Amino acid sequence: MSNTSSNQTSTGRAWVMLLLAGAFEIAYALSVAGSQAFTVLSWSISAIVFFLLTLYALSVALKSIDVGIGYAVWAGIGAVGSAIFGSFLFDQSLTLTQAFWLAVIIAGVIWLKLASSEKAQPEKPGLVAS
Amino acid sequence: MISWIYLGIAVLFEITVAFSAGNAQGFTRLWWTIATLVSGAIATFFLSLALLDFDVGVGYAIWTSVAGVGIVVLGAVFFQERLNLRKLSGIALVIGGVIGLRLSGAA
Repeated sequence: MSNTSSNQTSTGRAWVMLLLAGAFEIAYALSVAGSQAFTVLSWSISAIVFFLLTLYALSVALKSIDVGIGYAVWAGIGAVGSAIFGSFLFDQSLTLTQAFWLAVIIAGVIWLKLASSEKAQPEKPGLVAS
Repeated sequence: MISWIYLGIAVLFEITVAFSAGNAQGFTRLWWTIATLVSGAIATFFLSLALLDFDVGVGYAIWTSVAGVGIVVLGAVFFQERLNLRKLSGIALVIGGVIGLRLSGAA
């Protein structure tokens, strides 16, 4: 009983960490872009800090969450987020066609990461972590 | 063209990051942890060079997804991981998307 509820708590924490890792990854991507090849000090420091934060948060999250699912969520948040926030922050707008192909790539990487979790759960059709 | 080469180098080191981080076991093993950080620094630097040219959303997505393809392909070649239809379709989506972005002038 107490074991089950503590497991649920740690899974909940792991998902919070995973979402944080995704947010840190967006901040990392934007900082790398803003650093202008590490010639702008403030953005460069921010890139290093968020790189370490995302690595840490992801490693904590993946202790309790299936690696394939965890990477899929994390990569999806990072890629979608940096496209959306990048377009506002750096005024980099995409045409509808370009946004479509970007969505294809992001769907591809999410799909790929999900497919990689099959090894952990052989022959199970459902990928929802139970 | 040079920005694609920078992005390619960044992809190679991102694959090294994934491999090292996987072996670092929650960053309890020193040398794998150092390898993760060093390759992460190199990948980040070359990504930053590529992003001088690419829009951040486009460059970042290509970088992370092509690295994802590389990880799966290397896993199949060197670690006997199964390449099933789902993985192949993911690879096809990524490659198709990169070509689409190139042809539509985003990259």
